[in-house]
Amino acid sequence: MDNFSPQSWNKNSKPHLFCPGCGHAIALKQLGYALDELGIQQNTALGIDIGCSLLAWDFFNVDTVQTHHGRTTPIMVGYKIAKPQRIALAYMGDGGAYAIGLQSIIHAAFRNNPVTVIVINNENYGMTGGQLSPTTETGVKTTTSPSGKDTKFGPGFKGPELLRQAANEKAFIARASVSNPVQLKNLLIKAIKNQTENNSFSFVEVLSICPINWKTDADQSFQRLKEMEKYYPIGEIK
Amino acid sequence: MAETEGSIIDSSPRQSEAQNDTNMELATIKIILAGEGGQGTQTTAKILSATAAEEGFEVAYIPSFGVEQRGSPSIAFLTISSNEIRYPRFDKADFAVILQERAIPSVAKYVTPETIIIFDSSTVSSKTFRAKKVFGIPATKLASENLTPKSFNVLVIGVLSQLLNLPAEKTWQMTVQTLGKKFKTEEIKEKNHQIFLLGKDFKLEEDNFTEPTFVPQQGAIETKGEGKRAIIIPDHCKSCGICIVKCPFGALSFGKKLGLFSMPIPEIDLKKCTACDICSRFCPDGAISIEKEKLD
Repeated sequence: MDNFSPQSWNKNSKPHLFCPGCGHAIALKQLGYALDELGIQQNTALGIDIGCSLLAWDFFNVDTVQTHHGRTTPIMVGYKIAKPQRIALAYMGDGGAYAIGLQSIIHAAFRNNPVTVIVINNENYGMTGGQLSPTTETGVKTTTSPSGKDTKFGPGFKGPELLRQAANEKAFIARASVSNPVQLKNLLIKAIKNQTENNSFSFVEVLSICPINWKTDADQSFQRLKEMEKYYPIGEIK
Repeated sequence: MAETEGSIIDSSPRQSEAQNDTNMELATIKIILAGEGGQGTQTTAKILSATAAEEGFEVAYIPSFGVEQRGSPSIAFLTISSNEIRYPRFDKADFAVILQERAIPSVAKYVTPETIIIFDSSTVSSKTFRAKKVFGIPATKLASENLTPKSFNVLVIGVLSQLLNLPAEKTWQMTVQTLGKKFKTEEIKEKNHQIFLLGKDFKLEEDNFTEPTFVPQQGAIETKGEGKRAIIIPDHCKSCGICIVKCPFGALSFGKKLGLFSMPIPEIDLKKCTACDICSRFCPDGAISIEKEKLD
């Protein structure tokens, strides 16, 4: 037996379409291990957003839905209402979650819809070439902020902290990082269990790396991730 | 070089349409560049079209690529003409520049028996083509021998500037202007200039093509010893280097074998390895696996 990748990965779609060193693939690997550990591969539906997250369309051997930009959460909420015995995962990037799709997530958290939302935060819009996103920190250079993000655009957007204010008391909200995959996997398991056992909303933000658009190598990417972790604290938030 | 270049240009079916005495013999040249996202296909096309436009030619350039930033076919349709270009798309290419074998299916329908094919003979097998006029240039091999495999596109720009009769100095200036920031030091810039000149003066291979040695290693690389077994899958490895950075014992380092993007992949020193499985936990591509062998 090998231990290359989780059993729930679709081996036929590998090598996958993400860039070299992409944090999405590290996060999806831990999600795969979480699905394996819970044994819910046959019982899960994954909704994916527009952006780099859509490259996960054939990543797993689970039912996958491609949704409109920012509308992954409401579609998976609808799916869960139609099929309450299934497990609904909504997977998206920071643009889809905090820019175009924020109202959907806030209301899902407010209504306590039993879905698990996973947000990959790499501080930019990766697919279109690394533009400024709501989570970009002040002073960070991107394609659309060549001299660094101006203070007038505000600091990096803290999604989980915002959702904590609106969410139902049963909701589970956490932030993890690809620099600690085991903790990430455990938080994902906890989030999925909050959906299945407590029938409640759960939300995990995953701090991620984007070596291609950050123009960093592997070492520099993880150093920048470390800086990000100082601004975006890791752990269970609610 | 001059003879080779002449023979390619002369054999074009469009020569009879040549008008206006310019330094290009053709009225219209249609070029299709086929590479992979991240290789610099679009940048190459941009530099060539900008230089041709500065030379007073009419130019049309259409990029075509998928949603991924890396690894999917990236095609550039380039038309250079001394007349007005009425429609930028075309069905039959005069030149097809093939830089990546995986991009060939996407351009096959634009290649006719008359199309002149120029391909990277160090990454693409010459047996792939059935066309009559096939010219090879071991671009990746030459680039990695002289600098890094990444600068092979500068070499391709050199080759194409010569084929299209664009002035070498102006093409190089345009290359510097476009890639400016990437040449971080004067030394790198100078080395790239040498590679550009190497491409400009390269005599294209007409037969006796270079063996395509710069291709991903097939199968799995298995290393055994010290009671451990390590497997690395080269055609899954994208050479991101995360396993090397994350290994707490420094057991991994870039070796000589090549992975999916024709870049070096890691090799493992099992004497330092403790089979802690951190590399496998991180590897975004599921390309590495290490386990302790069971004792009998």
